Parts: sequence; C-alpha cells; structure tokens
Amino acid sequence: MAPPTITGLRGTGQLSTVTLDWTPVPWATVVDHYAVYVASGSTWTLAGKTVYPRFVHRKLGFTAVTRSYRVVAVDAAGNSSAPSRTVAVANKTSVTVSGRPIARVGYYDGKGEFALTPNRSADYLATFPNDVDYTYGVSVRDRDWCYLQPGPSDKWAGSKNHRVRFRFNLAARPTTDLDLALWLIDSHASLAGSALLSVNGTQLERIAFANGATKGSTLNDSTLPGSPLKPSYIERPLPRRLFKVGQNFVDLYKDTGSWIAFDAFGIYARS
Amino acid sequence: MTSSPPPGLDRRRFLQLTGLSAATVALGVSAPADAAAVAGAVDVPAGAFGLGVASGEPSADGFVLWTRLAPQPLAADGHGGMPREDVVVSYEVAEDRAFATVVKTGTAIASPALAHSVHPEVRGLQPGREYFYRFRAGDQVSPVGRTKTFPAAGQPAARFTFAMASCQAWYHGYFTAYRDLAQRAVDAVFFLGDYIYEYGIVAGGNLWRQGVSVGVEHGVEIETLEQYRLRYSLFKSDPDLQAAHASAPWLMVWDDHEVQNNYGSDNSLYGIPPKLFVHRRAVAYRAFYENLPLSLDSLPQGPDSLVYRRFDVGTLARLNLLDTRQYRDPLPVDEADRLSESRTIMGQAQEEWLYGGMTGSPAAWNIIANGVVITAVTDGRVEQWDGYPANRRRLLAAMEQTSNPVALTGDIHHHVAAELKADFTNPSSKTVGVELICTSIGSDGDGADTDAYAKDWLQHPYVKLYSGRRGYVHTTLTPTEMTSEFVTFPYIEADAGAQPKVLARFRTPAGSPRLEAL
Repeated sequence: MAPPTITGLRGTGQLSTVTLDWTPVPWATVVDHYAVYVASGSTWTLAGKTVYPRFVHRKLGFTAVTRSYRVVAVDAAGNSSAPSRTVAVANKTSVTVSGRPIARVGYYDGKGEFALTPNRSADYLATFPNDVDYTYGVSVRDRDWCYLQPGPSDKWAGSKNHRVRFRFNLAARPTTDLDLALWLIDSHASLAGSALLSVNGTQLERIAFANGATKGSTLNDSTLPGSPLKPSYIERPLPRRLFKVGQNFVDLYKDTGSWIAFDAFGIYARS
Repeated sequence: MTSSPPPGLDRRRFLQLTGLSAATVALGVSAPADAAAVAGAVDVPAGAFGLGVASGEPSADGFVLWTRLAPQPLAADGHGGMPREDVVVSYEVAEDRAFATVVKTGTAIASPALAHSVHPEVRGLQPGREYFYRFRAGDQVSPVGRTKTFPAAGQPAARFTFAMASCQAWYHGYFTAYRDLAQRAVDAVFFLGDYIYEYGIVAGGNLWRQGVSVGVEHGVEIETLEQYRLRYSLFKSDPDLQAAHASAPWLMVWDDHEVQNNYGSDNSLYGIPPKLFVHRRAVAYRAFYENLPLSLDSLPQGPDSLVYRRFDVGTLARLNLLDTRQYRDPLPVDEADRLSESRTIMGQAQEEWLYGGMTGSPAAWNIIANGVVITAVTDGRVEQWDGYPANRRRLLAAMEQTSNPVALTGDIHHHVAAELKADFTNPSSKTVGVELICTSIGSDGDGADTDAYAKDWLQHPYVKLYSGRRGYVHTTLTPTEMTSEFVTFPYIEADAGAQPKVLARFRTPAGSPRLEAL
C-alpha cells in the first residue's frame, strides 16, 4: 500500500539555497524518508533525501534561477507515495552579482585565504591581541584579517567577546542603501552563535549564524569534492543614512557562541 | 499445506480464524504454524542470516529471539538485499546444541516494513536453564545461538553472571572484547548504550579499524531510516559482535548515539528544531527496535518508544533498565537551572516507577543499568547525572532504602569503579551503592592506560579505578557478594588478536556496599 501523498509543499529562496517545507504524513505511516525531486527543465532528478518535513537544496549558485520541486514519501517497507503537487521556487541573486563592490576583503570563492589560514587558530591571541581592525586599501588581506572570528566559547581565544572592524572610505554619501556581503566557509557545528552588526558605531541588528561543521578551523577550501565544510551566506542592507563622506567602519561583534570562518567580507553599492 | 486460506478468504480473516492477532503477525513476533501458505513462497537469497542471531529480555520461562534477513547487509537502501515481500521464518528451541531435544518451534513473518527482522517471544520454558536456538528461512539455516532463562520467580538463586559492554564505534577498531566475552557463556549481557554512532565514516578521518574500507554511502551523518538500518548492518557485520549476541541473552540500554550526539528528549545539540528532530528520533528508535532482541513493548509508536523496563532474576537480583535520554530536561541554561529541584534526567513517570521498584524489591541485589555516569565528577559534565543533581539526590535517597543497589553504566570510554555516596558534596557521607562503569568496546581506538581526564576522576576518594583502554566487565552475583572483573586489551586498531588482561577485580559484600580491591 502506498503511503499518503505529501500536502502543503511550499518553498522559499535564499542565497545559493532553496528551503522546502511540507506537512509530514501522520505517524501511522512509518516514513523511511522523503525524496525531493527537482527540475529546471522537463527532467526530474533526485535533489536529495531527508527524514524531516523540510529540505534545503544547496549549491544553487548566486544568480536567481527558478526551479520546480516535488516530494515523494517512502515508507519503512520501501513503498513510494505519488508525487506531491509541484512548486516553483527561485534562489536569490547575490549582491556580489547584482551590486558594485565598494570595499572587500577575500574573494567570495568558497576558500578562506587570510592570516593564520588554514589551521593556526592557536596563534590568534599573539597575532591579534586587539582583534582585527582592517582598513581597506591599507591593510593586507593575509596578514591583517584573521581567517576565523572567535567567540566567547573559544578557550583558545581567551573565552571572551571578539570584534572585527572593517574601515573603508566613501568619496560621497551614498544615494541608496549599501549592502554587506558576509560569506562563511564554515562555522562551529553546535555553537555558531551570533554577532552584533553596527555601522559607524550605530547598532543595526544581531546576525545569527547557521551551524556549520566545525571543520573550518583546520580546512579552508569548501570547493573540494566531498569537502565537509558547510558554507553559509549572509547579505544585509546597510541604511545609507549611517554613512558619511570619508572613512566609515562596519563592526561585527561576536558575543555569543564559538567561531565563524570567513570566505569574504565586503560592502556593495546597488547598481 | 492443509490450512492455507480457502479461495475468497483474505489474509486478515484467515489470521483471525487462527487466533493470532494481525498485529503480532505483521510485526514479526508470531505467525500461524503453517504461515508459509499465507506468505506465499518467496525465494530467500543465499546468505540471508548475514547479520547473525540474538536473544534478549529473558524471563523465568522464555526470552525474545531475533534475526534479520540480510543476504547483502550493506545494500544502500537498508533492506539488506531482500525482496520487498514477506518471508516466513521458523525457529527451533532445543535443550542441546545438537538440537536432539527440541522443546519449542514456531514461525514469524519477516516483512519489509521491519527490514525483515523477526522478534519471536518464546514462553513456556523451564527456569534457570540453558537453551539453544536457530532459524530457518527458505532452504537456509541460521547459526546456532545459546541463551538462558532466568531463575524461577520468587525463588532464590545461587549465582548470576553477567557481562557489561558499551560504545562500539566500529570504525575505531576491532571488537576483540566481544571475541573474549563470547567465550564466557554468561547468564546475560548488559549493553549500556551507543550501539551505533551516527557520524559519517571517512578514511583518513575516523576510520581507524585497519584493513577495512567503506563506501561513500557511509561517509555522511545518518538521518533517514535507510541510513540508520545500514549503519546497524555495518556494525553488526562484525563476526565478534555476532558471536557475542549468539553467546547469551542481551539486555539493551540506549544512550545518545543511537539517535544523535548528546540529544535529549526532542532537543538536538545541533540546532535542529524539535518539531523536525522528532522525525529523526522516530526512525532512529525504529532501527534500534528492528536490529535488537527487544520485546514488542519497545516497538516505537511514532517518535516514542518504551525502553525502561524491569526483570527479576529469582530473588537474587532485580534488573532495572533505564532510559536517560527520551525524557530528560534540556541542558541547563545556567547554574541555577542546573541546581533546580525539579530537574530530571528520567522524567517523572520513570522516576516513580524506578523508586517504587527499588524500595519495594524482594531481591538481594538491585541493578540499575543506565546510559550516563551517576557518580559526581565535575559540575561541568552536564550531559551526565552531574547535570541533574536534584534527580541524583532523589535516586541516592531511594538507594538508601534499597537492598544492595548497583549501577551499571557506559558512555565515557573508560573503566571506572566508584562508590556512590549519600551526599556527594560530603565524601565522608555514607556509601549507599556502587557504580561499575564499563569502558568502550571500540570507541576511541587503542586508548591508553591513563590520560588528561584522569585527575577529574581520581581526585575523588570514592573513585577506585580509572583506565582508558578498551574492554568489558564481567560480574558474578551470589547471595553474599558481588565480584566485578575489569578486562582490558592492549590494542584494537590493528586487528582482533590482542589478548585480554584482567586489570582489576573488586568484591562488594552484600549488606555493605563498597569496593574492596582483590
């Protein structure tokens, strides 16, 4: 007997990913897994299997593409349900694609290429006794920007809060909001925690980081086949009223959890 | 076949007429004697008993038998290479290894919904004696298992022997300890948690068992039922584990890795929201049931499974098997939370069940088998009972009112022997029981005699032994004393050839709980 057909399928697009949710089948059916199928043309392929009534389709790139999804329930005996109805979802376009870079450190390429890369976190306190204070155009990427930003859960970094400050110049006040593009190659698996984001000393919001794989403290290339790293992508608008002509700074103050591992950090204008 | 269903009589109706409930038939517990006609003739592929046989949950008149048909145990879909059809499995129970005196026969249906596992519950046997069993499916016969019934209810017993095992990370080394344990023909084996691990297994990473390789399907953290089934198959493919199961009835306790590292109740340590995580717990509990000799009482209902239960070994011992994962409060948010009086690692219903069963016990020895360490070590060990001090005080208070309490524990990959104090904040307080903590079978590989954690334990006068080698514990109970023997092996990563060493032996006199080194 086939398990019930999935209902309630819906999806939302994010950077590089699409998240699908649906209504789990009642407990009377013992589910082995849900199989998620995707099509960007007319051919359906298996995007992945999950035990949860949620699936995150990853590695979709940074330019929006609309894809179709449907879900099949497979029960403990190996029987498959009929496919659910189809939903169409697009991933989001990154500001690193749509915008114009003003200042940045790192390459948005899935690799960490900074000071202490790939595994010298033990040298953090000696190398960055006052944390990272980086001035775009003056500082040097692989000397002045640390590959990790520690948090208070990191004994190797003194079990205290840590800040990164990113300074850059503006020749004129921006006429539209700017965007922060903060990409990570990895984060701690259970204690990714959060950080306060501020512009020129004005606190904007708390950014919660997705849990990663706790591998980015020793590995720096998430693009290798089978890499265990779990990258994540954060892009946030920065209100134009907070900027001024001359030097500006954006702070990330990590006051909860453990470390994050940078792919790149930059400020973009909307073009 | 004389009583196959007549034309027009469907299977359900036929089963009703035979007097068996459709549930126990569908769940692989029992089936009509001529069930072959119901199930239809299915060719059973060669090597169907590739995961061995097992018994468990002994009583005075029987036990649960287990096997799971898997001619290709490592088939990636978790179905073990079986066709998606019901298969009839028959079994025989005999008084002798040659099956000259067969005392019970029966059948059960192995269905794809339970990964072709069967869990026949055999009753009506003699108390306190050894039995042998085997299964048949198609033209194939399983290996022979040895098992034993418990002594008669309410009657004294002269002696009860048991072994303890836990934490069998297959990928960290060979199961040398099981090779030795299987030779000892104990009355029962307590398994104390972490039968599987959920982590991806990666060559050059955590695969320390030398001379083996695994496919990429084993390289990811498991999450779906097919992946949990496959993980059990991988671990259970070990011949020494199979031999240990075939040597004695097992009593199963789980800990965290049967689901996910350090989960508690519906809380994942890794931020998976509870409303999602329960779906993972459901398949993990399902695979635990499917792969182990458990009674039908432990078959999960959705995300819930009843695995705390009690067995009496005559009046010599009462065995309480706890579940310290499914009902526990979340990790404490701060010190005030940790110290809260209402904090529980067992849940209120299980606490009441346990304390009543301890203080009202007729038994000389009262065993409490559980997944995590009870002894106070350091306040930071919040995933064990150190994170639940109020629950520990209630347990210790019940122990004070109980005849000869003994806790059996795994989890920490170390042999530790400790005396349980009425008040751990006052080490000179009364000793109310002892805790025997068994090292891992495989987890952490070769290990070392001592390590950086030793001082955390040995700072306490009530801790009498600490070792970081792999091994098992062998214990003998009599009405007057308990003798516990801690066995270790010098290595396990290279091969399964290491020789056992008795690291320490302790005597615990009845009526005066303590550990006397022998």
